[in-house]
Amino acid sequence: MTLLSVKNLKTSFFTSRGEVQAVRGVSFDVRPGEILGIVGESGSGKSITCMSVLRLLKSSGRVVGGEALFEGRDLLKLDDDDLRQLRGNEIAMIFQDPMTSLNPTLTVGEQVMETILRHRKVTRAEARQRVIELFELVRIPNAAQRLRAYPHQFSGGMRQRVMIAMALSCDPKLLIADEPTTALDVTIQRQILALLKELQSRLGMAVILITHDLGVIAEVTDRVLVMYGGMAMEQGPVREVFARPSHPYTRGLLSSIPDLRDGEHHLLTPIPGSPPDMLRPPPGCPFAPRCPHTMAQCVAAVPPLFEIGSAHEARCWLHHPDAPKVLGEMEAAQ
Amino acid sequence: MSDIAPEMWAPVKRDAAQAEFIAAPSLTYWQDVRQRLWKNRPAMLGLGFIIVLIVAAIVGPMLSSHTYYEQNLKFANIPPVFQTYEVDGKRFFFNSGNFNLYEVSPEGKVEGLLRATKKDLIKKQQQFKFGDQLVVMDTAQQTLTLDGTPLQPTGWQWNQSNWFGTDQLGRDVLVRQLYGARISLTVAFVATLVNFFIGVFYGGISGYLGGRADMVMMRIVEIIATIPLTLYVILMMVVLNSGFFSVILAIGTVYWVDMARIVRGQILTLKEQDYVAAARTMGASTGRILTRHLLPNTIGPILVTLTMLIPSAIFIESFMSFIGLGVTPPQASWGTLTSEAVETLRAYPYQLFFPAAAISLTMFAFNFLGDGLRDALDPRLRK
Amino acid sequence: MAGYVVQRLGLMLVTLLAIVTLTFFLMHAVPGGPFTSEKMLQPEIQAALNAKYHLDDPLWLQYLNYIKGVVTLDLGPSFKYAGMSVNQIIMEGLPVTAKVGFFALICVVALGVPLGVVAALNRNRWPDTLVMVIATIGVAVPSYVIATIALYVFALRLGWVPTFGLDDWRGYFLPVFALSGFWISFIARLARSSLLETLDQDYMTTAKAKGLKPGQVLFKHGLRNSLIPVVTVLGPVVANLLTGSFVIEQIFALPGIGRHFVLSITNRDYTAIMGITIFYAAVLMVMIFIVDMLYLVLDPRIKYGARGK
Repeated sequence: MTLLSVKNLKTSFFTSRGEVQAVRGVSFDVRPGEILGIVGESGSGKSITCMSVLRLLKSSGRVVGGEALFEGRDLLKLDDDDLRQLRGNEIAMIFQDPMTSLNPTLTVGEQVMETILRHRKVTRAEARQRVIELFELVRIPNAAQRLRAYPHQFSGGMRQRVMIAMALSCDPKLLIADEPTTALDVTIQRQILALLKELQSRLGMAVILITHDLGVIAEVTDRVLVMYGGMAMEQGPVREVFARPSHPYTRGLLSSIPDLRDGEHHLLTPIPGSPPDMLRPPPGCPFAPRCPHTMAQCVAAVPPLFEIGSAHEARCWLHHPDAPKVLGEMEAAQ
Repeated sequence: MSDIAPEMWAPVKRDAAQAEFIAAPSLTYWQDVRQRLWKNRPAMLGLGFIIVLIVAAIVGPMLSSHTYYEQNLKFANIPPVFQTYEVDGKRFFFNSGNFNLYEVSPEGKVEGLLRATKKDLIKKQQQFKFGDQLVVMDTAQQTLTLDGTPLQPTGWQWNQSNWFGTDQLGRDVLVRQLYGARISLTVAFVATLVNFFIGVFYGGISGYLGGRADMVMMRIVEIIATIPLTLYVILMMVVLNSGFFSVILAIGTVYWVDMARIVRGQILTLKEQDYVAAARTMGASTGRILTRHLLPNTIGPILVTLTMLIPSAIFIESFMSFIGLGVTPPQASWGTLTSEAVETLRAYPYQLFFPAAAISLTMFAFNFLGDGLRDALDPRLRK
Repeated sequence: MAGYVVQRLGLMLVTLLAIVTLTFFLMHAVPGGPFTSEKMLQPEIQAALNAKYHLDDPLWLQYLNYIKGVVTLDLGPSFKYAGMSVNQIIMEGLPVTAKVGFFALICVVALGVPLGVVAALNRNRWPDTLVMVIATIGVAVPSYVIATIALYVFALRLGWVPTFGLDDWRGYFLPVFALSGFWISFIARLARSSLLETLDQDYMTTAKAKGLKPGQVLFKHGLRNSLIPVVTVLGPVVANLLTGSFVIEQIFALPGIGRHFVLSITNRDYTAIMGITIFYAAVLMVMIFIVDMLYLVLDPRIKYGARGK
């Protein structure tokens, strides 16, 4: 039984220039207690996908298709009040930049407390106590005093811990973390990731971790979804996808990571080109302009998802039975 | 799925250049600004109005046969448009403000006063003889009757002697308006110029020097700025005595503070920008940094501030003139014109229309232009 | 925080001192001014001036004397009206000006802010356009033009309100309206743009993501933060309401301080001009100081001395 099941989600932004198709049909499942990583470049639609699920899009954005079933209920069609019951309560979200994501004129304690008071029938004193517990859980020292501090009085890592505490305050079943470590120093990143992993296993909640960093994916997640041009390119268990990357884009990503292990000089191989224009998306596979194996078919039509292994899919025409067997060679080169 | 033709599996030669295509065609910063400003209709209308106004102010009075100070008490308070009556071949109109009848030529020129043959103060009537016919004017009810029956008007006509009519001293309103425009615009532009030089200079230096010098300079500015400008100007005017140049001097001496603040703020922010550090690393001299990096990026806010300060200057000048401290009669400024119009408000309300419209439209124009400039210069709005 | 308070207080006092000094030396520079015994004045006035200002003393002594007077709230005798002191002139006009100014301030806040908020919440829909059109007119058309037009329409033509004087409570409408018109528009525009900017902030998304009710999101997170710039600007707004009253009192013939001020200018009643100027400045300083303290309460970043980004 899946906790969250997103089917064919489509989201667009309606600007004066036209319709920008940010998400063009993404599907994935999240099971209770599982960590799903969504990886992709800027503009791939990974953040928008999750914002769409919780209906947190900015004014010009709208979900134009698909469904998002949380425990069987379609979040996209839910009543506003019912949705607000779920937000912060059963599904929580933390964002990339904790400095701008926290209200600078309210104390951190107040901001966490208001979540608790909103969803639980407790007194302020009880809520306060809970906040202290949460701060201790996320390892913020001097919890009782720090309650009354303001966001600008914390360091970046501490602020993110506050965000995490705020998200966990009502024991959510699903936590969506949108690039939680991108704005932090590398050493702090590791701490926060370790914290997230620890909390996840302790509290048994499911996590969607959005990132552009493959290293993070490798370390923390159970399953991974690779996005490009508003669509899913490949998804599957992490080890599987890393061992047998079955999409040229995934391969490109993996081979562009510098490898220092064997002490030799290697040329960095970036993926040439830039992301597609979502205002006028190409008719075929979004990766076609940059793919080393583009075929006529790729430019003509968007490939469907082909099954590679158990729960491992890739959206690439190369997996069509009639297609030339090019990927085998690449596997050897890997 | 197997209905895909075999040739579709042929590899496609990828055009590397195509892959690197970035969505929006790139314009230079200033091209982009100009384009956005052009599309902003209110701003363009405002700009158009200002240009027309400037041209009219410079050229207008030279084209008119009237001067701004010539008084003609016979023809005082004549409206720009009037309803004409025709009796016995003579055309005239009725000025309800002063109970006079004026003869009008067929083209619409005001020829002269018509004399009443009999004035009856008790019955509140005046009688006018036109040949054999008698027109009676009832001053209480403000009606005209011809031989007992109400006199029908023959139509409306523009006043061709004075397009905007005359004021209470018989002076041509249109020319006075244009003179007022000259004065208001001159004050505005001179104040702005002073503003620009002193303000940019002061703010630029303060921002660039930073540290102690900056702090001291800004404290001074803060003190000056805390006091409302109007108070200063009034004080100055008291000391300097009213007059055109005094107004300009007064406004100019204290008006630069806003500009100084803005320029200083900009320079401070820009100083910290990475590209300045980069330029310095590459060995650029201070002068070069100032001229090529800091100043061009400051022009935007400077321009916007200038455009927004002009209406303020116009307002202050007219305000001063309105309360009697600014330009002295017979010189015409929009402020004096407004105050004169207020005096005759009861009888001739329309006289308020011209100066009020003139000021309001001009303020609108500058405001729209300023808003448009601000929006056009904001890089964040670039789509 | 204490440092901030002391700093603002210090600034206020220095500014006030600067104004007093400026006024003193300006008046001294004017030929026929109160400190130059050139002009032939009525003997009572001359005597009063001499007694008060010791016009034979050296300049710096006169200056100190003057300061002493200001500090003890004695602004000296009138230059034009024998027997009247400047304090009396001010006290006479104060109730009227205070009342009109007070009502105007209330209008500005009670009308300006909600209008701006409504406009921001209905961005690009008809309420927004309507508010912006009204606000643009209010900001562009000078107050005295609005005042005179309003006078014509509502008093002369429609007769709804009296043309001058405050005997009738309805007499307050026009002056308050004319005085506050510009500022209502100004505040409305400011509130609107401030709220729009706030609504775009990340912490608004966070608030929604926590499942807070729309009311909570708007008031606790949105309005609270967007009103900070509005409060900041209230100090200068009050100042301008003060100076705006000159013209308004003139047009509507209200016997307030502004009217006396304009009269003393036309009459060249120098001591009165000086005294009233200083009075205005003092009121202004106090207002600005209050606003600064308010700002302290609203924005904790000031209180706890945040180093900027």
